[in-house]
Amino acid sequence: MPGPFALFKWQAVLRDWQVFAEGFGMTILVSVLALVLALVLGILFGMMGTAQTKPLRYLNRIYVEFIQNTPLVIQIFFLYNGLPYLGVMLPVFWVGMLGIGVYHGAYVAEVVRAGILSTPKGQFEAAYAQGFSYWGAMRYVILPQAKRMAYPPLTNLAVNLIKNTSVMAMVAGGELMYHADSWASSNLYYGPAYIITGILYIALCLPLATYAKYLERRLEVSA
Amino acid sequence: MKKIITLVLSLIMGLSLVFAAGCGSDPAPTASSGSGDAPDIKAVKDHGVLKIGVKVDVPKFGFKDPNTGKVDGMEIDLARALAKKILGDESKIEVQPVTAKTRGPLLDNGEVDFVIATFTITEERKQSYNFSDPYFEDGVALMVKKDSGITDLAGLNGKKIGVAQSATSKQALMDEIKKQNLKIDILEFGTYPEIKTALDSGRIDCFSVDGAILAGYLDDTTVILPARYSPQLYGVAAKKGNEGLTKVANDTIADMKSSGELDKILTKWGLK
Repeated sequence: MPGPFALFKWQAVLRDWQVFAEGFGMTILVSVLALVLALVLGILFGMMGTAQTKPLRYLNRIYVEFIQNTPLVIQIFFLYNGLPYLGVMLPVFWVGMLGIGVYHGAYVAEVVRAGILSTPKGQFEAAYAQGFSYWGAMRYVILPQAKRMAYPPLTNLAVNLIKNTSVMAMVAGGELMYHADSWASSNLYYGPAYIITGILYIALCLPLATYAKYLERRLEVSA
Repeated sequence: MKKIITLVLSLIMGLSLVFAAGCGSDPAPTASSGSGDAPDIKAVKDHGVLKIGVKVDVPKFGFKDPNTGKVDGMEIDLARALAKKILGDESKIEVQPVTAKTRGPLLDNGEVDFVIATFTITEERKQSYNFSDPYFEDGVALMVKKDSGITDLAGLNGKKIGVAQSATSKQALMDEIKKQNLKIDILEFGTYPEIKTALDSGRIDCFSVDGAILAGYLDDTTVILPARYSPQLYGVAAKKGNEGLTKVANDTIADMKSSGELDKILTKWGLK
């Protein structure tokens, strides 16, 4: 049977499974590290977004608006091809991790900010009354409550982050999409290649998305 | 759990639909109706225009002039000759830009009748598409920055080479690297301009693709090394099953070779 899904093309995918496995591993590694970076940045900037001092709030706005209103593709392209002109040659792995981490950090910041704002003001006042400082109240009273609100959207962000690692394909990033592109464009067995790649992404994202749904449901019950 | 099962089931059904469409669109094996024209040729004639997939980022072969917006090059001239042969009018062509990634799918789904896009003939690709006899032969070449002082492949030891996503140049280089016992990273990019950008920014130390294509990207800061590796043969590709179209392509190329027309076009574009 000829056509894009001919049997021999599927056999070729299975024969070259290591190509896909290598990319899959890289995608997971970049995703995990970028997620950690995004969470750290997001919590930091999210708290700044609700701070009383204006400069901190401005800093939060600059970061969030700048990142959210430019395409990830351009940010990655800048890190990859722009920075070398400024004398900074980041390895492509770092380009991917930093680019994707910083990009999603902005979204995490908004989720964290919303979580903090959704915590009743009385909680702050009660914490102050107990002698907590602003950061102390944040750490021990507000964030633990905000966390519950923020969990479901954060899990969805993690799903998006995983999918967005595919932009690294553009700069020869060595992750799943890059290997799929490379393999499929050399022998033109693109049919099975992209289906397998899609299934691998589903294998990563679907459990997370399902977990997000579960968290959301639990939130409704407890709220 | 039930939801997941439903999802998996619908996914499988979706996939099988794609399969069915893939099989269904295969034309019945040439029933060779007495009317003379193969069904694929007849389809083109009924349509009244020949749809061709060409490159728009390869100067001299298929390049879109940013000033005029017109796509022109040696491969477009070849497309015109094919239109003349099939439809009797060389202006009856409709060009569509393709990349290494899209040219296969566009042939498969019938969006284009031919792909004439610096498409190297390989055994592996012949299993998926019909290739005509070659109309051009070229070797893989290396472009480096002038100030790098690199003069041969060995000078790139421990460095990085950027190639386009189409393994013919990658494979050729890997064979040569192995032969010379070097250690060179090969990175793949989607389009030629992306590779040139990466060379300019210092991300890669060498831009490698077929020599004639490379010539289109030469500027004051770069130089093309004299070495050429494993000759690449370019062919006109058609969908598997469209044997009629491939035969026309072969006839046309043979005619153009014997009449000297092909040489004339190559000279016109400075490819000879």
